[in-house]
Amino acid sequence: MDKTAYFNDLLARTEELFYHELSDCAAWKTEYIGIDFIQSQPITGETPGQIIESCIRTMSDAGLIKNASYSIGGREILLYLKIQGCIHIPKEEKLKKGGIKPYNCPIVNMILDQLIEKLNFATTYVADLDVEDDKGECTVKAAIFETADKVGNVCDWSDECHLIDENDQWTTVTC
Amino acid sequence: MRDIIDVLTSRKSIRRYKPDPVPEEMVDNILEAARWAPTGENYQPWRFIVIRDQETRDKIGDLSKLGSGKRMTAWYCMGIMQKRFEKIEDPAKRARVLRFMYSGEVSEFCKQAPVIIAVIGDLNVGSVDVPYDLCAAAENILLEAHSLGLGACWVHGPVAATRDATKFKEILDIPTGMNEYKVICYIAIGWPKEQRKHPRPKYPLKDLVFWEKFGNKERPKHG
Repeated sequence: MDKTAYFNDLLARTEELFYHELSDCAAWKTEYIGIDFIQSQPITGETPGQIIESCIRTMSDAGLIKNASYSIGGREILLYLKIQGCIHIPKEEKLKKGGIKPYNCPIVNMILDQLIEKLNFATTYVADLDVEDDKGECTVKAAIFETADKVGNVCDWSDECHLIDENDQWTTVTC
Repeated sequence: MRDIIDVLTSRKSIRRYKPDPVPEEMVDNILEAARWAPTGENYQPWRFIVIRDQETRDKIGDLSKLGSGKRMTAWYCMGIMQKRFEKIEDPAKRARVLRFMYSGEVSEFCKQAPVIIAVIGDLNVGSVDVPYDLCAAAENILLEAHSLGLGACWVHGPVAATRDATKFKEILDIPTGMNEYKVICYIAIGWPKEQRKHPRPKYPLKDLVFWEKFGNKERPKHG
């Protein structure tokens, strides 16, 4: 029996039901999904980059993802992530097939949780989750606010992401 | 029986309040209205926390600002907010409105509301319909406040995200266990400072109603 497939099916079904109950607000309710694992791990770092890299290494070592790249831009509030080989991609595929845009990424939930837990970030928000199942890759845009007064620091993220891609401002973490 | 359609159609969300206090009898009327809301199997899982203390309202206001501000900052950065407000033709006005939204100031108004009522539900009482019962109670609060000449606004943002809901519970000493109390919203109440403009336009019934089966817009003739 493929246990990962079994658990992804359970998660997909749960998220489908949750979406049916709450529509897009479901995404706001799922931020704790995944944090039990990361909170049990010795994540260390004194900067956002160090924490993110520690999380990625830990998740990669555990076989949850293959690797991931990240960049922080957009006046320090955009966390742009590319995650390869995530074990939850079949869950996202299943949701997409059912007409639901994937909305709950346990991998990014873990990273954001550690920014809050370890660096005392004021708040975070997953703004966009794009799953390219054919490439086995997810692209995530999250807003990370080190302090409350960072809220309102706006800029155009499409320009920001374009610049990051064009200038290859990615930090890739592989194990 | 009196038709309440005038109360329903003249109500709108009020976010600006005079500093004048809301009398205790009015608060009692509002709470009385809330407890008469429909509730599955008469379980009445709702509990209400009436908050007048300025320091507590400031904390809730700050949490609300953060909750709305984080989302709207991200939505602005993604271009979503600009689309939502593209109908505002004056660029300066549009920029002002957008800033008000993405800064989170849009949700800070409970600091100025003389009273706020948190609507929470005991998940161990009537566990089948708790969120729906709480929404019915919240609606009754809004209607009674409006019928008394007060202004009120249902605020969900600060308790929508799980972490924010936990912070909200901590501010009010509500047990934080996921199996204990559900916070559905709070309602800010006060004497309206803003003009009661006509409620925002509503879709006509013909766009909302089907007859007998989903999709059937033809009203059948009876009798």
